[in-house]
Amino acid sequence: MVAHPHTTDKTGFDYMANGGREERDRDAVGIALALGLMGFLTLCQYLGLY
Amino acid sequence: MRQPLTPPADDAGAAPAYADRRTSPLSCLYSLEEALPGLLAMFFIAIVSNNLMGVPNPFTLENLFTYLDNVIGPVNGQPFFQIMNSNFVWNALLLGLIVGNVFGVPDCWKRGLSYIHTLMPLGIIMLGPHFVLSHAAKTGFWPIALAAALIPATAGLTLRLSRFLKVDDRQASLIAGGLATGDPHACVILMPMIKAKGGQVVNASACVILFGAVASLVAPWLVRHLDLSTQGAGLALALGIGNGAQAVSAGFAVGSEAGRYAGYYEIVGHVLMPAGFLYVFAAMFWRKLRRGGDASVQATRGVENVPLYLYVFAAVWALANIHLFKEPAHHAIFELVKWDFSLAAAALGLSLPLREIWAWGTRGLVLTCLAGTIRLLAVVAVVWACVKHGWLVL
Repeated sequence: MVAHPHTTDKTGFDYMANGGREERDRDAVGIALALGLMGFLTLCQYLGLY
Repeated sequence: MRQPLTPPADDAGAAPAYADRRTSPLSCLYSLEEALPGLLAMFFIAIVSNNLMGVPNPFTLENLFTYLDNVIGPVNGQPFFQIMNSNFVWNALLLGLIVGNVFGVPDCWKRGLSYIHTLMPLGIIMLGPHFVLSHAAKTGFWPIALAAALIPATAGLTLRLSRFLKVDDRQASLIAGGLATGDPHACVILMPMIKAKGGQVVNASACVILFGAVASLVAPWLVRHLDLSTQGAGLALALGIGNGAQAVSAGFAVGSEAGRYAGYYEIVGHVLMPAGFLYVFAAMFWRKLRRGGDASVQATRGVENVPLYLYVFAAVWALANIHLFKEPAHHAIFELVKWDFSLAAAALGLSLPLREIWAWGTRGLVLTCLAGTIRLLAVVAVVWACVKHGWLVL
């Protein structure tokens, strides 16, 4: 296990880089999760589950 | 089945491009084997930093700061670490910074740490139910109108001054957001929209917090010399300093009643916080569209369109304001926001060698102090004039 002080690993992958199609996919997953979680919690309340 | 991103056996090759391995939007999450080490690192930093829902861990940084607050005692009625804005973002960021700078970040963590880019839109959207305009209705129309006018005024002033001080436009945007909203969280929220560097985010947040802390010591002296009523002093401090705990601390330095009024008016800035970061993003995005060819324009460079999650956030914020999210659901959602931003802040902290924070220098601090002082003086002068001429009954 090699520790690198920066965000890029030896394959060139930079975990703080975010752009193009990958960024749009990450946004889409984030939006879907947010709407799913908020919808679930709100629905639970309206159904009287808490 | 998704293609794994395991590097070749000789460890010398580059990973395949995202477009080559993408099979669905979920490809951005990588395989569990690749993401798990980084996710666990974020998870453990988050649960050691904050008291998070579902984790009964008493040994957290949050509890340590609470203990120290009790040892130190309150500063003008407010806990010291509250005045310094210790919260679920900064605690995890601080611990991530310590771990990353002392031990480094192993390569095997980095796929998992890239989840920060999914957690940011997720957290921003889930913040929507937190800002309900009617919560500020009790303060009356004019304090809300004054706070709303301060957002473009403060952001505009900060961005204009940044040109004279030659501050990078991304860092200036973050400072403008932090000052305009009075909430350093805005610096973090603006990071993906502005495409700011992690070092700029921490540098800008530190500038905003530091200025607010100093202002909370100096502003009471100014207010005491103006013969303002305690209600007027509370309003002037809440809007002039902006940051909640710092404004309340300054109010209590004037007097018990002024402190309570500062807390009473602090909600106005809080519920308008989304307008602040949306305004800064819109201003910088519009500027980039007009001057995209200018090499000095870095803020929002790489942002082709208004991100979809901002539309969703605006819709959720609107729904919150018609009280769709009732109180228990709102609390449950905010607990998830704490989880989300704790994880994201851990990844951000791990990504930053300290020199990347120092690299942005002290110009940001000069900008913050200059813009913040002008704003504070202007607010105090406006409130004083309103009270003196009877335009506001305070």
